[in-house]
Amino acid sequence: MRERGAQRAFLLLAIFAAVSMMTLLDATAQKPTRDDVQAAYLYNFGKFVRWPGDPSRRPMLVCVAGEDPFAETLRKLVEGEQIDGRPLEVRNLDRPDGVSDCSILFIGAEQRDREDSFLSAAAGKPILTVSDSPDFLDRGGMIQFVLVEDHVRFEVNLDECNRHRVGLSSELLKVAAAVTAKSAGGTR
Amino acid sequence: MRPGSSSISAKLTWMNVVVSATVLVLATLAFFSWDVISFRRDLVHNLESSAQIVGTNSVSALLFDDQQSAATTLQALRNSPDVVSAALVTTDGTTFAEYERGANVAPAPVRALDPGTNDQSWISGRHVLLAHRIIFQGKPVGTVYIAAELTETGSRARQYLEIAIGVLLICMAAGLLIGSAARRLVARPIVALAETARQVSRERDYAVRAASHPDNDEIAVLIDSFNEMLGQIQERDTALNRAREQLEARVQERTAALRAANRELEAFSYTVAHDLRGPLDAVQGMVYILEGIEGENRVAERVEILEQLRQATRTMASLIDDLLNLSRASTAALKRQKVDMTAIVTGIAEGLRRGEPERRVEFMIAQVPEIEADEGLVRVALDNLVRNAWKYSSRHETSCIEFGAINRRGEIIYYVRDDGAGFDPKLNDQLFQPFHRLHSRSEFPGTGIGLATVQRILARHGGQIWAEGAVEKGATFWFTLKSGATAAA
Repeated sequence: MRERGAQRAFLLLAIFAAVSMMTLLDATAQKPTRDDVQAAYLYNFGKFVRWPGDPSRRPMLVCVAGEDPFAETLRKLVEGEQIDGRPLEVRNLDRPDGVSDCSILFIGAEQRDREDSFLSAAAGKPILTVSDSPDFLDRGGMIQFVLVEDHVRFEVNLDECNRHRVGLSSELLKVAAAVTAKSAGGTR
Repeated sequence: MRPGSSSISAKLTWMNVVVSATVLVLATLAFFSWDVISFRRDLVHNLESSAQIVGTNSVSALLFDDQQSAATTLQALRNSPDVVSAALVTTDGTTFAEYERGANVAPAPVRALDPGTNDQSWISGRHVLLAHRIIFQGKPVGTVYIAAELTETGSRARQYLEIAIGVLLICMAAGLLIGSAARRLVARPIVALAETARQVSRERDYAVRAASHPDNDEIAVLIDSFNEMLGQIQERDTALNRAREQLEARVQERTAALRAANRELEAFSYTVAHDLRGPLDAVQGMVYILEGIEGENRVAERVEILEQLRQATRTMASLIDDLLNLSRASTAALKRQKVDMTAIVTGIAEGLRRGEPERRVEFMIAQVPEIEADEGLVRVALDNLVRNAWKYSSRHETSCIEFGAINRRGEIIYYVRDDGAGFDPKLNDQLFQPFHRLHSRSEFPGTGIGLATVQRILARHGGQIWAEGAVEKGATFWFTLKSGATAAA
């Protein structure tokens, strides 16, 4: 009888372990990385932003500053996708002087030391600047990814957007974690 | 109101109420059914709109994984009272956000959309489930599910019922009002007519009339016909009364006539008996005298008495003959044949002249047309008239007796005229009554039956007789006869 009880205990333990393993495996397989989420967000930003002029018929250029592996993630994601009939193109920018054609410029936290030069290059141009480095908005950035309760969220500097004639949809602002707008006189 | 008179107006009122109630119930049912159908359609339509709005507003939340924003968007459905619960489902089938009206409300059921459709609704009883696939930039982002309950249907039914009952009450009031109008228009004339009919049959007063109806409808025709019928009945009633009165008057008249005739007959019988008694007394007296006369030397005396005896019996015989003539004139059947009155009068005149050849009398006999009549009776009548003329002119030295006819307005009037003793015109009406004699027997002999007989004969021939005359100026007897026609006695 005792041997039987030990057997049953072992069996239960085995089943528990198996279930736990499966759940864990499932979680690792399903759970997207922060880069995945940020890539998807970046792609989706394109759908809620209105640039000045008539940029149709040209591919939408999404630039990634420096040799950031994020570019590869993004490239995989937007492969074959279109926004408003415009194909998407992901480009790595080694130097800031190539920002002119970009619609969206992502400056990763790893590129913190070159951030200023890229922002200066983009200054005055209708380029949506996005970063995941802290206090990016204070330095003149437009959208900054933040982690809220382990969820990727983003904050918006609406003044910078307006100054660069980058129109953000209210839908986008609605889901932003915070919107900085001195002219509007409020923070969300 | 009497039950008898109220029935028609009550029926009309009930008819109004029943018709309006039926119409109202049917109309309410129709409107309610239509309302339920359109309400459901509108509800589904509204839900679709809501789903689209929710979907559009949820795009960014879904794309940027903002469950809080999605939940806020779903909370907007709070303003739709029919929405019980809602859910936002991502493309991989996980529930992204949910909305429930109350704490004990089950989450919205999630059912797979048919492939190829973006909007779908399922209705079972009072529950409606609506799904809307959110498409953004040509790609599905997620699906909105909205579950609703047709809770308003029940309250709407109750509202409809309240309205229907209210309208029904108004209809009933209107029905009563219309009923009173209908009573005035339809029932009242009929009731009045019935009342008149009852009065007529109760009091037998055919002079009353139903009040006429201003409209030109069947009731007016009924009333007019009724009045006309009353008029006819009244006329007939009056005629009947008049006929009865006439009949009574005639009966009285006839009774009086019969009484007079009876009296006359009694007088006649008395006179006949008296007149027969006279010669009979004479005969008896003379027979008595004859018995007393004896001896050969009294032959002359006896012969004279016998002569008187013969005279008395002759008088009696002539009286009896006249009575027989009168009787025959009254009762004998008429045998019509061609009669030549001129020939008869000529014959009579010749007979008279032969009987008294010493008299100087001139006869003027006109030729008159032949007639159809009973020859025997006409002969008796003419014999009486001519003999009268002969007799009453006997006191004059010479005399003239005429017979002729005149034509007055198509009617032939015969006459017999003499220039003898005549008569007092005041006694004209007694002339033709039996035994009424205008002259004494000693003056002119006669039975007093002759003219009565003549009148009877002429009457039987549908004719008349009348006389004109004056004392010592002669007399004219006019008479008519209906040739060929049979007249009553």
